[in-house]
Amino acid sequence: MERREALKRIGVLMGGAVSLSTASGILGGCKVGPRSEPFVPKTLTAEQNELVTTISELIIPETDTGGAKAARVNEFIDKMLTDWVEDDDKQRFLSGLDQLESSTIASEGSGFLELAETDQIRILESLEAKRAQWREAVGEGTASREERPFFEMMRELTIAGYYTSEIGASQELKYEIIFTSYEGDVPYEEIGRAWS
Amino acid sequence: MTHVLQLQWDPPTFSVQNQRRSVNLFHSLLMSVKNVYVSQGAPEYDAIVVGSGISGGFAAKELCEKGLKTIVLERGRDVVHGEDYITEHKPKWEFEFRGRGDRKLLEEEYPVQSRSSPVNESNLHWFVKDTEHPYIEVNPFTWVRGYHVGGRSIMWGRHCYRLSDLDLEANLREGVAVDWPIRYGDLQPWYDYVDDWVGINGEALGLAHLPDSQFLPPFPLNSGEQVLREAVRKSFPERYVTIGRTAILTQPHRGRAACHYCGPCSRGCSAGAYFSSQSSTLPAARATGNMTLRPNSVVHSIIYDPESGRAAGVRVVDAVTMEQLEFRAKVIFLCASTLGSTQILLNSTSTAFPDGLANSSGTLGHYLMDHHFEVGASGDLPGLEDVYYRGNRPTGIYIPRFRNLGDRATRRSDFLRGYGYQGDARREGWGRPTTGFGVALKEQLRDPGQWRVSINAFGEMLPREDNVVELDSERTDKWGIPLLRIDCTFGENEMAMRKDMMQSAVDMLEVAGCSNIATFDRNDIAPGLGIHEMGTARMGRDPKTSVLNEWNQAHDVPNLFVTDGSCMTSAGCQNPSYTYMALTARAADYAVRELKRLNI
Ligand SMILES: Cc1cc2nc3c(=O)[nH]c(=O)nc-3n(C[C@H](O)[C@H](O)[C@H](O)COP(=O)(O)OP(=O)(O)OC[C@H]3O[C@@H](n4cnc5c(N)ncnc54)[C@H](O)[C@@H]3O)c2cc1C
Repeated sequence: MERREALKRIGVLMGGAVSLSTASGILGGCKVGPRSEPFVPKTLTAEQNELVTTISELIIPETDTGGAKAARVNEFIDKMLTDWVEDDDKQRFLSGLDQLESSTIASEGSGFLELAETDQIRILESLEAKRAQWREAVGEGTASREERPFFEMMRELTIAGYYTSEIGASQELKYEIIFTSYEGDVPYEEIGRAWS
Repeated sequence: MTHVLQLQWDPPTFSVQNQRRSVNLFHSLLMSVKNVYVSQGAPEYDAIVVGSGISGGFAAKELCEKGLKTIVLERGRDVVHGEDYITEHKPKWEFEFRGRGDRKLLEEEYPVQSRSSPVNESNLHWFVKDTEHPYIEVNPFTWVRGYHVGGRSIMWGRHCYRLSDLDLEANLREGVAVDWPIRYGDLQPWYDYVDDWVGINGEALGLAHLPDSQFLPPFPLNSGEQVLREAVRKSFPERYVTIGRTAILTQPHRGRAACHYCGPCSRGCSAGAYFSSQSSTLPAARATGNMTLRPNSVVHSIIYDPESGRAAGVRVVDAVTMEQLEFRAKVIFLCASTLGSTQILLNSTSTAFPDGLANSSGTLGHYLMDHHFEVGASGDLPGLEDVYYRGNRPTGIYIPRFRNLGDRATRRSDFLRGYGYQGDARREGWGRPTTGFGVALKEQLRDPGQWRVSINAFGEMLPREDNVVELDSERTDKWGIPLLRIDCTFGENEMAMRKDMMQSAVDMLEVAGCSNIATFDRNDIAPGLGIHEMGTARMGRDPKTSVLNEWNQAHDVPNLFVTDGSCMTSAGCQNPSYTYMALTARAADYAVRELKRLNI
């Protein structure tokens, strides 16, 4: 792109109210369209993938904006497990998932996915309580950061995956890329949401 | 003009084709070193500039505008302004790892670059693959670089601060290293000249030790930073919280557009709102019709002509074809970055200069400096829940140096020199610590968290002879150039200063009313991370103790100028590239005057 052409485009962007996706389409390459092929996880099994999808949606549910499921957080988690997360963390995550399933069967008589949502939430609440205890212990130096419980990882990956997704970053939170100035003291109601 | 040239790398079988001669690299690597004498015709170019980064781009502009036919030799690939900014405005969700980067790739191929926090998934293509560009760390030294047209001008942080006489007289006053051969009065008109071309925004403070530039309007401070500013002003009359002074346009300037506040500048800016070689100096050089820019041209060494006592030209290896070439000119500007230029000089050996060109003093490669940083504090700023900001401001705050300013009140007995801070205040985002899950969590994260202030000090590092770079005697890179061995450590002065850098940060956050103050001090801090390498071909008054004179001209070789950070006699605590620009423009002006007087 010639410099003049680039400037002209920026000028157009700054002058007219152009939607975010148009802007990123022009300057950031092509937008990802709807996918034709179904998602096949690389690390998670089909069952684990369903479990991850369900738990992530319980962590960030659909409200007036899409939740973790709509944002395909499960795909992000599978990607991170496959290509990013260190081996021991990955193993702890996967066995944590399996353990959640087996302990649910032991205590509830059926798998996590078959439970009513209120029961699923009750189980996650106990995991969250354990996570909070672990965090406290880390703060006091009696537990190690390396032994991150499954729900710590699950929660963190869900939050990161959701708020960096298109839905999380640009629908739930606020995302713009072209401004005419920087203002450092705007009443919060004028913006109304956190910038992603 | 006929030169008799002493070459040390050519096999006896090369062919002379005009002024450029190709030789078989494979052959030459196998051949033992020989001295070969050949005759040459008149040089094809008036000037050679090595490197196209901040200093090389400026040299090209100045020399071309003054009418010199100039070839710019750049080792990396070409980067076309706009078109090649492949990640510009790309949203997070379109990155494979959402901006975090490919951990395995970083560990395997970018183990050095990825130590530096500004390096991320969206700008990784501007940093060298460490596996392709090895060097030897005798002690840890993080050499962060980009090899392409524009060099690090594409991904630099754009902070620009003038040196003052407090900095330029410090060595003399304290008996450290050698005296700078220049004072602020020598630099000031050239800083002004650079301002007019580049466009630097900031707030004028009238401080003698941090002279004002000719500023474009500053970016505003946000509400949190205002609180810090007022509190610090009240409790510490000698400290100022001001906006970062940066080479970013807050209004249109010389054909470049003002900032549009998209945020991640280091991906490249097709609007040209910040200074880079692409947005500013290279188009100016190109417009004269005098510039030839040759990417993929790895300068191997400088050819010295013992008869005239001049540099005759440079030897180049084409990075793609591996062909060996030579280019000749009347004057050479070495702007390959501090370590790049020093490597070239060390590799330019001859009977006259067995230890590297222009190294009769033996100081070439010594006195390597950086800035030491990643020490400071952050804290929560209570209140201000009903205010926020709009736009991604491409800079933060700056707190100018307030230690050892030459008066009693600011004098420290525990260290020499001083430091400044960069930082900002912002409201926490979705990554902040939270508990729970479900609708309540989502609602909580829809709003920003509390304000948090963070300040990070940049301190001066003293020049020490034993902080040195050398050529390895055995290993060479792909282009036949001996690897650099870097042996550099921080000293006691830096370590003593770091304690104060942390404590002063805490003091300022406390008076601002911050709670939960957390200090930080990067425990693996080692030179290089500041990305401000300097000093290995220093300027000085005495040819016996320095490489360059007051015009950045080699004492030993009058038509050789080195205008990147290697010329720095001391480091100051200011981000240095702006000074390289001023020194480069000043040296180019001098060189062209001397050429016209037939002195070089
Ligand atoms: C993330 C980051 C943030 C920074 N922030 C700031 C800041 O805020 N303020 C500041 O002042 N500085 C900052 N810097 C440092 C700044 O980028 C450098 O000081 C500056 O770019 C140096 O200019 P230069 O021209 O000497 O070197 P470079 O810009 O590095 O350019 C050197 C060029 O020479 C080429 N080259 C090297 N060797 C050879 C060879 N043998 N043959 C041919 N070509 C060669 C390279 O490919 C490169 O293009 C920052 C750097 C980084 C990476």
